[in-house]
Amino acid sequence: MTPEDLQLQFETRRHFFGRCGLGLGKAALLSMLTDGKAFSAPPAPVNPMAPHPGHFPAKAKNVIYLFMAGAPSQFELFDYKPELQKYHNKPVPDSMMAGKRFAFMDTFAKERPKLLGTNRAFKQYGQSGAWFSELIPNIGSIADDITFVKGLAAENFNHGPAKCYTNTGSTRFGRPSMGAWITYGLGSESSDLPGFVVLQSGPRGPRGGAALWSSGFLPTAYQGVPFRSGGDPILDLSRPQGIDAQIQRETLDTIRDLNLSQMAESGDPEIATRVASYEMAYKMQTSGPELIDFAKESKETLEMYGAVPGQASYANNCLLARRLIERGVRFVQLYHTDWDHHFDLGQPLEQVTREIDKATAALVRDLKQRGLLKDTLVVWGGEFGRTPMGEVREVGGKTGRNHHIDAFTIWMAGGGVKPGLTVGETDEFGFSPTGDKMDVHDIHATMLHLLGLDHQKLTFKFQGRNFRLTDVAGNVIPKLFT
Amino acid sequence: MPIPSWGLTRRLIPAIAAASLAVAQTPPPAALPILQTNCQPCHSSALKSSGLSVATREALLEGGNRGPALKPGDAANSTLVKAVEQTGDLKMPPGRKLSPEQVATIRDWVQSGADWPASATGTTSSAKPKKGYDWWAFQPVKRAEPPAVADARWSANPIDRFIYARLEKEHLKPSPEASKETLIRRVSIDLTGLLPSPAEVREFVADTRPDAYEKLVDRLLASPNYGERWGRHWLDVARYADSDGYTIDAPRQIWKYRDWVLNAINKDMPFSQFVIEQIAGDMLPNPTTDQLIATGFHRNTPSNFEGGIDFEQYRVEAVVDRISTTGSAFLGLTVGCARCHDHKFDPLTQKEFYQLFAFFNNSDEITTEAERYDFNRPILEVPSPEEIARKKAFDSQFRALSRELITYVRELAAKGVKDTASDPELVERVQNLRELRRREPKFTTTLVMRELPKPRDAYVQLGGDFLRKGIPVQPAVPAFLPQLPAGATSRLDFAKWLVDPKNPLTARVTVNRFWQEYFGKGLVETENDFGAQGNQPTHPELLDYLANEFMARNWSQKAIHRLIVTSAAYKQSSKERQDLEEVDPYNKLLARQNRLRLDAEIVRDAALSASGLLTDKVGGPSVYTPIPEGAMSVTQVAGAWPTETGPNRYRRGLYTFFRRSAAFPGLLVFDAPDATSACTRRVRSNTPLQALTTLNDEAFLEFAEGLAARILKEAPEDNKERIRYGFQLALGRGPRADELERIERHLARMTDEYKSHPSKATELIYKGGKFTPEGVPANPPPPKLAAMLPKDLQLEATWTGVARVLLNLDDFLTRE
Repeated sequence: MTPEDLQLQFETRRHFFGRCGLGLGKAALLSMLTDGKAFSAPPAPVNPMAPHPGHFPAKAKNVIYLFMAGAPSQFELFDYKPELQKYHNKPVPDSMMAGKRFAFMDTFAKERPKLLGTNRAFKQYGQSGAWFSELIPNIGSIADDITFVKGLAAENFNHGPAKCYTNTGSTRFGRPSMGAWITYGLGSESSDLPGFVVLQSGPRGPRGGAALWSSGFLPTAYQGVPFRSGGDPILDLSRPQGIDAQIQRETLDTIRDLNLSQMAESGDPEIATRVASYEMAYKMQTSGPELIDFAKESKETLEMYGAVPGQASYANNCLLARRLIERGVRFVQLYHTDWDHHFDLGQPLEQVTREIDKATAALVRDLKQRGLLKDTLVVWGGEFGRTPMGEVREVGGKTGRNHHIDAFTIWMAGGGVKPGLTVGETDEFGFSPTGDKMDVHDIHATMLHLLGLDHQKLTFKFQGRNFRLTDVAGNVIPKLFT
Repeated sequence: MPIPSWGLTRRLIPAIAAASLAVAQTPPPAALPILQTNCQPCHSSALKSSGLSVATREALLEGGNRGPALKPGDAANSTLVKAVEQTGDLKMPPGRKLSPEQVATIRDWVQSGADWPASATGTTSSAKPKKGYDWWAFQPVKRAEPPAVADARWSANPIDRFIYARLEKEHLKPSPEASKETLIRRVSIDLTGLLPSPAEVREFVADTRPDAYEKLVDRLLASPNYGERWGRHWLDVARYADSDGYTIDAPRQIWKYRDWVLNAINKDMPFSQFVIEQIAGDMLPNPTTDQLIATGFHRNTPSNFEGGIDFEQYRVEAVVDRISTTGSAFLGLTVGCARCHDHKFDPLTQKEFYQLFAFFNNSDEITTEAERYDFNRPILEVPSPEEIARKKAFDSQFRALSRELITYVRELAAKGVKDTASDPELVERVQNLRELRRREPKFTTTLVMRELPKPRDAYVQLGGDFLRKGIPVQPAVPAFLPQLPAGATSRLDFAKWLVDPKNPLTARVTVNRFWQEYFGKGLVETENDFGAQGNQPTHPELLDYLANEFMARNWSQKAIHRLIVTSAAYKQSSKERQDLEEVDPYNKLLARQNRLRLDAEIVRDAALSASGLLTDKVGGPSVYTPIPEGAMSVTQVAGAWPTETGPNRYRRGLYTFFRRSAAFPGLLVFDAPDATSACTRRVRSNTPLQALTTLNDEAFLEFAEGLAARILKEAPEDNKERIRYGFQLALGRGPRADELERIERHLARMTDEYKSHPSKATELIYKGGKFTPEGVPANPPPPKLAAMLPKDLQLEATWTGVARVLLNLDDFLTRE
């Protein structure tokens, strides 16, 4: 079965059951068969999460998306710009600002912002000679496993809408997220864990919340399932106190028997899907605790990540991401918050980079040593980048950088991406791209391509239109993998 | 299509060349055939993509959404030339480029004055209807006579005559009526969202009067719970939520609007009035407070208050959302498609989208950073009598203390005290006053619409970008629908137009949504797309009949609900039939009812009503029912969640506080809409997370405990009787023999379990079973539940084990 058949499958499955079936999105309202031939026999039902191949052979099977919420500064991490240092504190040329819009525009309108050189030391790493700042030496040490995309453009300079854009291809809330599209397109290899899992760390949740992992108009089965960092990973996974495993099993047996009796009575095959979902819930109750139990991880592994069992952190989530991938989960997304450094590129940035540097590098290295990196696409990035100019609004004599959507940096590793490259480049101040223009839609198109999906064909019909993750845009970036 | 004489596609040229030449003495300018071939497929006088026609010189001069396309003699500043040169943001033709020679021909032609001989313009056949205007949904609602049918049971209700006649055509027989137990459960859920009590079921089953069912329906329609059930349906459309959405997603107060909806539906306010007050209640003469509250309908748009935003951008987004919502809610059209370009399938142009935009463009919301302090403007204070009394008491107390303070300061002055600031009593008095001010009682508020005195200018926004202004537009309704009289340009005029009997869409779309709730899908399955990409109605005459009745019965929603639920079609058994599987697997012809999974709120409400825990209070502020730990921390600002311990803990699902960015998991998992845009039909999905909720969630465990306690309290002391009563409470019917036997077995196991492990019973009922040193449970059940519990905790735990089964049965979670 190809992804194009999916919607048909959902439709016919629903019709097979003669009602608004299971796991069906708003889009499924549209009758697939035209009115004239509506009375043909439907095919057999399909599990919406059953794994299925894409449009063409895939280079990657799974994705781990490390989302740095708040927008990290590329100038303090990856983008070494000697010219920016040279012109530090000089007003930004008018020509650069003409026609541009920024967040907090009123402050830039009041006073021409000045260029801001970084005070971070940079050095080159690995065979590729890529530059990394002193803040992320561990990521530097995997330089030859990763590939940069620089000069990337986003569409909106406010966090919420921009996060929505990076995740759903639209700045408007309510569209399906990439994790939902990908599990819709490929299903999941895991039968006892959700196919799309969301993990969070940092001082708060990401702006926009659940909209970022929404299934939008796709079947709800593809919604990202947020795992909690403490206690049960999944809401209501644990049995209530006073209900032991045996009582739970017997309760499920009784429910199943009575449901099957009702199925015989009403003739409704939909009841079978209810029975199946209760069985899967039961399995999750076993696989969930096993998943978060790090007891079988070696001391070396825990140390490499900096993970401490039972202590919620980005490091733990990285390790959890590897464990999820090992168990066949298709799409794992980690959010780490607090990258919005408007006023201070000192201690706050040091803290957040300290939180992620070691574990990020460990994840890539661990995936590689276990032979998982070739099948797993790792993406690291935020919703946009930051300006080469400092904020006009200085606080306590310090300054940081404003939001900038024209030229930001992300990186990828594994999953068929050619390692050690930098694709795209920016001018000497890092203000604008100088080479090919690339947009978030192009990243989406490329990710889908690596997974064996054609972004123009992975569609879902909703309100009379075939929607896709890349909307009406998106070009695969072949340089990333050939 | 008009056929100008100057050239056509190459294939056709030879055929008419002779005729053309006969008219045209001089050959037409070489630019014209280029326009004809490359531009006119979209920019004809009929299609006018983006408002532009290239069919005549006048049309080019008038231009489209970007203004004039042509400046004769000034090629450099002619949009047409720039577009084909593809130097700016507009690149034409889309996806390709004219040859350099063709571009040069056009440029030269414009530069030399864009001469256009009269002979080169064909006749326009304006008499022909425009493309798409003849679509069925845009035609007036026709008065349809129900066909005569032979069957007596199927001819009493006009609906049935349409359904039966269609079935007859396929040689199909309808299904028999469902059992009376099934009927009362079905119609109670559909009209009130609650289960009937065992007594109500008994009474109805015993009632042999011929109109027993109709009496039941009337009783349910008169119940305030009817407004809750159907109010929630409307709140889906209204994208109602208790928070702002977007980035910050702070709580907002707009529950007064929710209560307005419930009350209006309970009062059976005519739907026409219901629409007018929601769209433009503020513009009615001397609007009442209620009419202002009603305008919250279009204030349910998400609002962004993130730092550093351009407020105008998000105001525009809200207006666009209002148009899209209006489109799906009333017109059943995907109006939002025309935001960036002309609609691809329906005859709605981009210009018409912005003409609709102009109706909604004038509400007094903030547009600049400087107004941030006033961020949710306009807000209306709607104090309750208690709040007014509290405020009065506060005011007089505050005044009294202020007066005393002033007197004291005067005294100090009189005593000649210079350093008043360090007088301890004065400091204390000032402190007290400040403290009091902090506790100033606040009034309940609600978001409303308020029109600016002077309308904002509206433009076509090129490519849907609010910064790229095209031609200015005035408020107007789409040309393919009945027109407003000249000068009718206000939001109120528009509201009245929506419910004008001549409007072919609003009544059809509304009755179709009603139908969908009763049968699982509408007569038009694509309930939010009545346009060319949507489905045709399965029973077009029935749709028109219902739409007509709706209007004829003064837009009474209750009348239509009553008409539908008293039909034989509605009352049929939902049992699957082998013969139908073959010929009508999708049950489009309705030879039986459909089994439907319960809506998210009703899953909760049904369990609440079975358990006897329900707090049946209508309206009021949203409540904080128990939520799994950590569920609110998935978004930027983790919201406070002061979990209710009193009666509000057991309110119906629609009163649960709904935070857009961290929606209540127990509702979301059962497909409650996310309130980002109008939801005209709920998904019904199947995920293991639903099973985890009803099996393990704290709320559902309490419902099971309540149900167990109720069984033990109300049924005779006999296991079989108790099981029967449990079935009555949860399913509205007694158990079949095999069910009884299976539950008895389960009961025996539960009894063994808690007898041999009595501590487990304590653990279950006292959540962990811990006690304080004084011997009091550390986690006692909430008072309302505690009051129901029997003394024998083992017995309670045992029957909770049975109740958990009942509340997880497919039969319980489904409307038969």
